[in-house]
Amino acid sequence: MKKKSILLLAVGALCIISTTWGQNAGRVSGSVQIEAQTSHRDTAIGSEDVPSRLLLNSYADFRYDNGPFSAGLRFEAYHNPLLGFDPSYKGAGLAHYFFSYQNDQLELTAGHYYEQFGQGLVLRAYEDRLLGLDNALQGVRLKYRPVKGITLTGLIGRQRSAWDFGAGIVRGLDGEMALNSIFSTLSESKTRVNIGLSFVSRFEDDESITSDNPAYMLNLPLNVGAVSARMHMTHGHFSLQAEYAGKGQDPNITNGYIYKYGSAVLLNTQYARPGFSASLRAQRVDNMDFRSVRSRSGDMLHINYIPSIAQPHSYTFFNLYPYATQTNGELGIQGNLYFKLRKGTALGGKYGTDVHLNYTTISSLDTMRIGGRGTDGYTSKPIGSNREHYYTDLSIELSHKFSPTVKAGFCAGYIVFNPIVEGHAGQLHHNWVLATDVTLKLGSRRVLRLEAEWLESDSKYDAVVDDKRCGDWLMEVVEYHFARHFFVQANLQRCYHDGTGNYNQVAVGYTHNASRLQVGYGRQRQGIVCVGGVCREMPASNGLTVSFITSF
Amino acid sequence: MKKLLPITLLLVLAWSPPVFAQQTWPSHITLRTATQVELSSDSLVNRGHPTIISFWATWCKPCNKELDALSELYDEWREETGVRIYAIAVDDSRSQADVVPHANGRGWPFDVLLDSNQELMRALHIFAVPYTLLLDGQGTIVYQHNSYKDGDEDELLEQIKKLAASPNPQ
Repeated sequence: MKKKSILLLAVGALCIISTTWGQNAGRVSGSVQIEAQTSHRDTAIGSEDVPSRLLLNSYADFRYDNGPFSAGLRFEAYHNPLLGFDPSYKGAGLAHYFFSYQNDQLELTAGHYYEQFGQGLVLRAYEDRLLGLDNALQGVRLKYRPVKGITLTGLIGRQRSAWDFGAGIVRGLDGEMALNSIFSTLSESKTRVNIGLSFVSRFEDDESITSDNPAYMLNLPLNVGAVSARMHMTHGHFSLQAEYAGKGQDPNITNGYIYKYGSAVLLNTQYARPGFSASLRAQRVDNMDFRSVRSRSGDMLHINYIPSIAQPHSYTFFNLYPYATQTNGELGIQGNLYFKLRKGTALGGKYGTDVHLNYTTISSLDTMRIGGRGTDGYTSKPIGSNREHYYTDLSIELSHKFSPTVKAGFCAGYIVFNPIVEGHAGQLHHNWVLATDVTLKLGSRRVLRLEAEWLESDSKYDAVVDDKRCGDWLMEVVEYHFARHFFVQANLQRCYHDGTGNYNQVAVGYTHNASRLQVGYGRQRQGIVCVGGVCREMPASNGLTVSFITSF
Repeated sequence: MKKLLPITLLLVLAWSPPVFAQQTWPSHITLRTATQVELSSDSLVNRGHPTIISFWATWCKPCNKELDALSELYDEWREETGVRIYAIAVDDSRSQADVVPHANGRGWPFDVLLDSNQELMRALHIFAVPYTLLLDGQGTIVYQHNSYKDGDEDELLEQIKKLAASPNPQ
């Protein structure tokens, strides 16, 4: 607490000093966010009474900018944390503060900071409030741009874990070079190439962990390193992006304390010109769970980020079975095709039609077990054929404007989901999904949006697993915007076969400039909420929700 | 010691009363173009003319609707007011590879930039997309709105026209 207060004083003092540095008084900006929830017992959906009646998360951010100086702090309060949030968030206090100095060549940040090297395969510190994730590093970061086209980053710190920090120390170095900016002979070249190299290391004290034979203790590596190399090349409409990461021996709780080296490869190639584009991605991940504390599982203290190759969707039922990245082993490919059906054609109509086709398939690696704790654990083939199917998504999405006042969207898809990715044994779920929405502009300030979705699944409800997503579903949404700033919405979802209940919600909202207030009431399904392939288990709830956010 | 937080804030505010004056666009924050060229947030200010900044993501349906609407109006608005539009994608590395194919596939005529670890978004205290800002020719944020419904672009045009008609020329 004492250290925190000293740092806070330092931030305040530097803010004041910096006001005298610049020619003007600088700028203060900030935001306030409040999320509140009540919930009561509802046996049909499995929700429970909340002992404190009200749950509330609140965040207040302040930032001060003056010329090259910036400083910021965030106060957070969880009285008590919303359902689904880690209980260790309970409490209130100063959760984030930083001071930074930046000019064209140099950027120095002290305090908390977020960072990403490449695509995040060896390091990504970020915040996602919806999921209750914040693995900000607390320490020092230096960025240096010695010449145009070269950026060097060095950092050291410990990771935030709710109101505490992970025991491990994270050190990282990254260098990125834009070859066309560095070499004048390439400055006019149509081919542009960026390359990057990263190194991240974690130090953690020794601890007593036994091998499979309890008589022997594991000889744990105190320093675990990870490296990555990346390349991004564009030539006209064509581009190619590749990144490889390798991780040293890192016995940890998520891989069963094995000593196998980790690796990840991401490849992406695309062709994109106005009105037409195509992309193809491939990803192989093997034993890449990398945290600042070896004995922690769950959502906290991830040093790296393995992006999910599954396609994000905007319709609800396409996300009923979201895919969570299997950081310790998966192999996936994805293809996308985007094009516009021209105006004036039979399918394009008067305004044209946007079409998006997607195919994704993800499986386990082809592995062979060779031992337990203290060994290399398993061997894996680069591709192999003995793989377990995890996920498939085949979908087509259309967006069409019929007239200046009528727009519509349509999406059809087939999704195969293996419950083992959520840790449950069972059969593959095969889901067919149709979704459509129509938006009608009724006047300058009134808009009506109607949405209907249907999901048919061969999944069967099992009382042991208690997955309340099982069965066939229908959903209707009616949303009406009026008086420029207000909206009301009714969202009705019901399971009409192998019934696991209905989930009806109503909401009203007010949106104006940078502020938004929304009040809702109804049932929320138990399930997995995912953002960017990172997922969180969400318990069922039935009650009131209030959300307010504003910035200044 | 818990009192330090409000005291610090009060000191800062007391020291510099004009700080809550009109919001200015953050400088020195690094963005990337579709071809991975780095550029500083300062360079987005359209010297002498208004700039529309729209934060969006490939998976965000209202964002796509808003950018489709702006796309249809862009040529007309640009001719009339000299406005420039930047669509800043906040997709993380999961869907970032889709940003360029997505924007091209929909035929958007404006510049698409990447804010891959949401640094600019955080500096502006934006937590959800879509989020749209209007900057004047000096980089002052004169209008902003979160979320999107059909017709919001009419209000944006009103604001641009107001800006063009203001006594201080852009």
